[in-house]
Amino acid sequence: MNQSPEKVGIAFRERIAWLSLTAMVLAYSVYFALAARAIQQGAGTGELIGLLAAVLVVQILVVIAASIAIAICSGREARAPADERDRAIARRGAAAAYFVLMIGMIMVGCVMPFRDKGWTVINAALFALVVAEVVRYATIVTSYRRGWHG
Amino acid sequence: MAKPRLTNQIRLLRFLANEMTQAELGERIGLTRQTIAAIEAGKYSPTLEAAFRIARVFGKPLEEVFQWSD
Repeated sequence: MNQSPEKVGIAFRERIAWLSLTAMVLAYSVYFALAARAIQQGAGTGELIGLLAAVLVVQILVVIAASIAIAICSGREARAPADERDRAIARRGAAAAYFVLMIGMIMVGCVMPFRDKGWTVINAALFALVVAEVVRYATIVTSYRRGWHG
Repeated sequence: MAKPRLTNQIRLLRFLANEMTQAELGERIGLTRQTIAAIEAGKYSPTLEAAFRIARVFGKPLEEVFQWSD
C-alpha cells in the first residue's frame, strides 16, 4: 500500500471552539481586571454595568466576525451538520461544565448571600458562568486534539 | 492515552476501493473527513451504526473492518 496519509486539517467545530475559548478568556480577563480596579476606586452600578455591557458587545462582535471568517475558509464543511463525533464531544463538554456551574451556583446562591452583597455576588455568578464555559470549550478542544472514546 | 484496543482496516480498504478519500467515505455515511481520520487513527471509536455503515460501503462484514485486540 503506497497511499500517503491524507492531511487532516482542524475540524470546523474545533476551530469555533478554539475561537470561543480564546474570546471568553481574553474578554473576561479584561473585564474582571477592570471591574476589580473600578470597585476599589468606588465605581457605581452604572459604570460597572457599562463595563460589562461593553465587554459583552465586543466579545459577541469579535466571535461573530471570526466565526463568519472561519466558515468562509472552511467552505462546505461549515454547512455540514454535526456528525456523531461532534455531538459526542459537545455532550462531553456540557457534562463537564455542568458540575463546575453547579458548584459555582451553590456558592453564589447559597453561601455568598449570607456574607457578601451587590457586585461581589454578581461578579461571582458571572465568574462561575465564565469558568463553566471555559471548561466546556477546553474539554471540547482537548477531545478533538487527543481523541475520545465515548 | 492508552493504546486503542479497537483497530480497523479502513485505510487499507479505502486504498483497495480505488483509493477512496476520507472525504468520500465520510460523505457516503454522514461523517466528516476529520471523524474518518480520527477513526482510522484510533482516536475515536465509532458508534455501532457508523461501524456497520462503513463496513457496508466496502461490502465487508463488520469483523473484517474492525477488530478488537486483547
